[in-house]
Amino acid sequence: MSEPLLVVRGLSKQFVSANETVPVIEKLSFTLGQGRSLALTGRSGSGKSTLLNLLCGLEVADAGSIALRDQVFEAGAAAAKHRAAAWARLRKQHIGVVFQEANLMPALTLLENVQFRAYLAGRDPAHSEDWLTRLNIGELARRYPDQVSGGQRQRAALAMVFAMEPALILADEPTGSLDRHTSDEVTGLMFELQARHGCSLILATHDAELAAGCQQHLDLGHLSGV
Amino acid sequence: MTGFLSFFRFFFLPRALLSHYRRHPLQLVALGVMIVLATMLWTGVNQLTSQARASLAQSEQAVAERRQVLRDDGGALAVDDFVTLRLAGVCVMPWLEVTPSPGHHLAGQRLVGIDPLAAHCFGNSVDGAGALDQPLDGKPFVDIHTAAGISARESRLHLLVPASTNPSVLPPGYSLAGFSASPDTGELGDSFLLNLEALGVLVLLIAALLLRSVYLLGLAQRRESFALLHRFGVPPGRVQRWLALEILALALLGVVPGVWLGRWLATGLGGGFGQALEGLFDIPLYAGQGQGWLTPVLVMLAVVMVSCLGDLLFLRFRQRLALPLAVQAVVAAALLVTGLAMAWLAPSLLWVFIAVALVFAGAGWLTPLAVARLSHWRARLAKKPLVLWRYRELAVLVRRLTLPLVALQFALAMVLAVQALVTTFESTFDRWLAQRLEAAYYIEVPAGADGRKAADWLTSAQERSPDLQWHRVIRGSALLADASGEGGRQVDVFALAPISSLIREWSLLEAAERHWETLAAGDGVMINEQLARRHNLGAGDRLQLSIGGEPLDSVIVGVYPDYGRPVGEVLLNAGLLPASFNTRFESVSVTPGRPGIDRITEALRQIWDVGALTTRDNATIRELATGVFDQTFALTRAMTLLTLVLAASALLMMGWVLFSTRTWYFRLLVAWGMSQREVAAQLLRLALLLTGGIAALALPLGLWLTWALVHRINPLAFGWSLPMAVYPGFWLELAVLSLAIGLSIALLMRRQLSRPAALPASASALSGGER
Amino acid sequence: MIRYPAFVLMLFLSAGCSGETGDTGFAGLAGLGNSRVDATGADTHYLQPGPGDRLSFPEDFGPHPQHRVEWWYLTANLQTAAGEPLGLQWTQFRQALEPRKATEPAPVATEWPLQAAWMAHGAVSWKGRHYFAEKLARGDVGHAGATAAPFQVWLDNWRLRANADNSRWQLQASGEGWSYDLSLSIEGAPVAHGDNGFSAKSASGEGSMYFSLVDIAITGEVTLGDDVLEVKGKGWFDREWSSQLLKTGQKGWDWFALHLDTGDKLMAFRLRDDSGSFRSGTWIPEGGHPVPLNSGELSLQELERRKGVPVRWHLKVPAYQVSLELGAPAGNYLNRGLYPYWESPVSVSGSHDGVGYMELTGYSE
Repeated sequence: MSEPLLVVRGLSKQFVSANETVPVIEKLSFTLGQGRSLALTGRSGSGKSTLLNLLCGLEVADAGSIALRDQVFEAGAAAAKHRAAAWARLRKQHIGVVFQEANLMPALTLLENVQFRAYLAGRDPAHSEDWLTRLNIGELARRYPDQVSGGQRQRAALAMVFAMEPALILADEPTGSLDRHTSDEVTGLMFELQARHGCSLILATHDAELAAGCQQHLDLGHLSGV
Repeated sequence: MTGFLSFFRFFFLPRALLSHYRRHPLQLVALGVMIVLATMLWTGVNQLTSQARASLAQSEQAVAERRQVLRDDGGALAVDDFVTLRLAGVCVMPWLEVTPSPGHHLAGQRLVGIDPLAAHCFGNSVDGAGALDQPLDGKPFVDIHTAAGISARESRLHLLVPASTNPSVLPPGYSLAGFSASPDTGELGDSFLLNLEALGVLVLLIAALLLRSVYLLGLAQRRESFALLHRFGVPPGRVQRWLALEILALALLGVVPGVWLGRWLATGLGGGFGQALEGLFDIPLYAGQGQGWLTPVLVMLAVVMVSCLGDLLFLRFRQRLALPLAVQAVVAAALLVTGLAMAWLAPSLLWVFIAVALVFAGAGWLTPLAVARLSHWRARLAKKPLVLWRYRELAVLVRRLTLPLVALQFALAMVLAVQALVTTFESTFDRWLAQRLEAAYYIEVPAGADGRKAADWLTSAQERSPDLQWHRVIRGSALLADASGEGGRQVDVFALAPISSLIREWSLLEAAERHWETLAAGDGVMINEQLARRHNLGAGDRLQLSIGGEPLDSVIVGVYPDYGRPVGEVLLNAGLLPASFNTRFESVSVTPGRPGIDRITEALRQIWDVGALTTRDNATIRELATGVFDQTFALTRAMTLLTLVLAASALLMMGWVLFSTRTWYFRLLVAWGMSQREVAAQLLRLALLLTGGIAALALPLGLWLTWALVHRINPLAFGWSLPMAVYPGFWLELAVLSLAIGLSIALLMRRQLSRPAALPASASALSGGER
Repeated sequence: MIRYPAFVLMLFLSAGCSGETGDTGFAGLAGLGNSRVDATGADTHYLQPGPGDRLSFPEDFGPHPQHRVEWWYLTANLQTAAGEPLGLQWTQFRQALEPRKATEPAPVATEWPLQAAWMAHGAVSWKGRHYFAEKLARGDVGHAGATAAPFQVWLDNWRLRANADNSRWQLQASGEGWSYDLSLSIEGAPVAHGDNGFSAKSASGEGSMYFSLVDIAITGEVTLGDDVLEVKGKGWFDREWSSQLLKTGQKGWDWFALHLDTGDKLMAFRLRDDSGSFRSGTWIPEGGHPVPLNSGELSLQELERRKGVPVRWHLKVPAYQVSLELGAPAGNYLNRGLYPYWESPVSVSGSHDGVGYMELTGYSE
């Protein structure tokens, strides 16, 4: 068992609307080791995206704690500003996020997108083109996102994430809008690179086959139907 | 099933389409307000100009080819003259022009009283008496008895004769002259109206650009639901028809109150506008000449429909016409250059307007292209990816906001130029007025009193107290001797005696050597700028006049500026006036010095043996003149200001909405580890770059337009030239306004950033986002 | 005499602007008279002549501002030096738009008042050609009007003017291509028609005050184009005024004024309506007293029409052994003014020879 990268304890999140409170995540605990992959499954609305947002600090939990690398984030604690800054630093350098689509700045070429992300993470942008090549879209480096296919865009999104040399990759249905064949290609590349570079991966998906490729499995399904 | 389908068709479809506005009520409000405002502005202007034009046309047509009888002694015509002429067998009809007093419901608009019985002798074949066969309904013709009964600020009787009238039939003491409703003011009045109309068209253009941009934005947001409807099996044609119906309904809802408001605006401004027209050009604004409802409603409907649905209608056409960017740039630049050259060389106002239109078209086309090119260029230079991103994003925004940005650019340029013109005119007019109102008091010589007696007394008073300064002013008219023998054009006579030091401070546009001395000696005359321009006269040229029937041939020793009136004027020594000269007005200008004004008026009262004297002081007259001035430009100012407000609010809304559609990407920056504060700062820079840039780009266009207005349009439209001046303080105000719009957008976005963003909804986002 | 219908129409059309209401045209005349509040606040109504009204001279030569309509009317059967017949007409109408008491001063000219409108017709008929001109004017301005003493009637440069003792008149009028300047010698006293001047126009009592001068010797010059013709002959002058002349339904009239060779004169008219006609006339024997003729005492029969206009007539007054055939000369004598009517000289044959004038209205061409 590798050293834990992420330790989640008693994590809860609820959405408050005008007249009711809907619990989305209740007292969730799990641990993810360094270099390990975790599949997050569950029907839509089961809280997969919310959990990912909590794990990168884009949303704040109501209860519980998240320990990531050397930082511990306790829910409800004071100094929200400080916490937000700490999350921002983590996202900048160590957490790569991949959404189902629209991961690229439309006004930048694929290469510029990768360079931009690397630059933000403080990595050398010079390797950006290599990453595109490794994801088999090197020849498309100077195209704009709207000039390539959806699969190619998701590859570029992965190139961006790997270019920042992250500790943790959070992927939210990264191939959800792709056809089976492209999806397999893209996820294959993702798993391969993740394994090679030793970063951890949390993959939210409703695709059982895809989930099976991960070492761990966390099903939020019981929460669905709320 | 068919029941469901028809239910779907007639109930669900419109509801589905309209649900967009339930979700975006502001957009609906914005569209509505824009349609109402644009309609109001344009209808208001159009109502006034068409009223003025119809006045001109109708009076000109009614008197087309007709001539009038004048008294040889220059006296005003009265009923007696009409009777004398009729009894002598001359076919003559009365034409009584009446401007109702303030308080009358037609105050400021002129009515024409005619006598249909007297008009009978004009026949109905040769002389176009059809034009006289007017309904006497106050638009503007009324029976002369009604006209004579109106309490009038001004009332003037003309006696018209058929064009075929032989001068030999006239009894002695009368002669024939051309009849037009206004004196010789060249094409000035027409030009002024053209000016206003051009402004109206510009407002319309700006409004159309804005409408289109807001509507297209809404369409982009609705593409999703259109796609959904398509999946439900609704053919695109039906959706388009419903869209057309929807915008037609919206247009009607906006246009009708807009037209009503416009007419209300026109009525409100009508009095002032009428006075301005009359004051500036002697064009009377005849009552009831405005156009009906149909034209403005149809025009505005067409504008709204075309600007919103033009794509639907002309899509294929446009696709076929889509030119490569480079070609577009070349064409736009060609338009711009042609316009610039044409403005320089244009011989008439219409050509200047065409030139202005070309320059605006060129600039409006070129600006977004140039900005996009510029930001790409700037992006290439960028070392930091963040700067690169910012300029790339700017390029996208500029392209997506082309229409409102160009509208704001036009509006800014227009406001800038009009402000420069009005301010320049104001200060020039002020200086000129200060010189013109040289004396402290103006005492009217009462009817029947002898101005010379006053002169004698003032001469002796001046010997006792040398600081008393005065001169007599005698006004009337003369005819310019005309080689064609047509009985030349009438000019005003402005006669002074003595040529006192009071007027020697005048700044002249052109002057010969020792001009004041020559004028004082009666060896030369001066003319105003209007006369000089119209007849291409200058210092040193000779001027032949017929004054009171006597010829006068004199050298021109100076040309003086004369604002606020279109009529040519000759300034001369009153000693040159023959005894037969018909004095229209006489006054004495006095700066009393030690004796004091009370002593002088008392003395004049005794000399003339009258109870009271009409005395005006300098300040009163100045106030009157300034009032007229303000009236003149009230309309222009209101229009430019409203347009600016329209453009600014449209940009604000558009900017915000457009930024909002990109919220996902701005949130992406947060996901990539930038703090919200950093992202907000980036957005602020972006927004300021956008709106500040457009202000900067409006500046050269505005400066050029100022030049065009002052040096090209103004002399053609008003008959006098102005110095060109620039007002950087005002530029700063406009820049601040633009930046404030940018700042507001950034602030609104900052709020938006703190909320979770949905994936970009538009169809294009699914294919990689708008670039 | 009754030569004003069109004029009335026109005036009511143009009167729309003066706030005049109610009457529209011909039929309106038969309606109730409207009124005007004068300066003293009193209502001024139109006066309507009736049986028992008397004529008064010289006042009745002048205008009657409290009556709705009146006219001064001259027809003349003249001869040129070459002996060719020449017919001539001059008429001036006054139409009130508001009644005014004769004692009340006229409104001032500078108001361009619209209390009355004037119309003048002038015509010359010679060798089958008919020259006609029409003039209009508003009253009280100065270029159109009439006075009783000295007697004059004028509109623009058309003018009828009497000398001091009203024994000689001068008449001048002109139109395009024609003009005349005549000297009229007035002989004989005015002839009062009907009941001492009240001439009924229907069985129900509508009518007018009506008198004529039937003995007028005329000399003068008529200019037609380049021809200057010396003329002399006889004239007939009518004065007539009323406020409610016709009955509703009356469509037009036929009017005749004849100089018979015996020196007798005859005036006869017929008013037509759907149910028949109302006839009236005056027999003026040479040297004797005028005798009014009622409907039963005279008969009028059309003999021939020319383009819809009866141009030949049979006129009988059995009591005076008068049986005349009247005929217009060749030509079209339609006065093509605002509202056309027929005005032609006639030759007289049958029991008497003679000359005269005929006016026909209400026929469509």
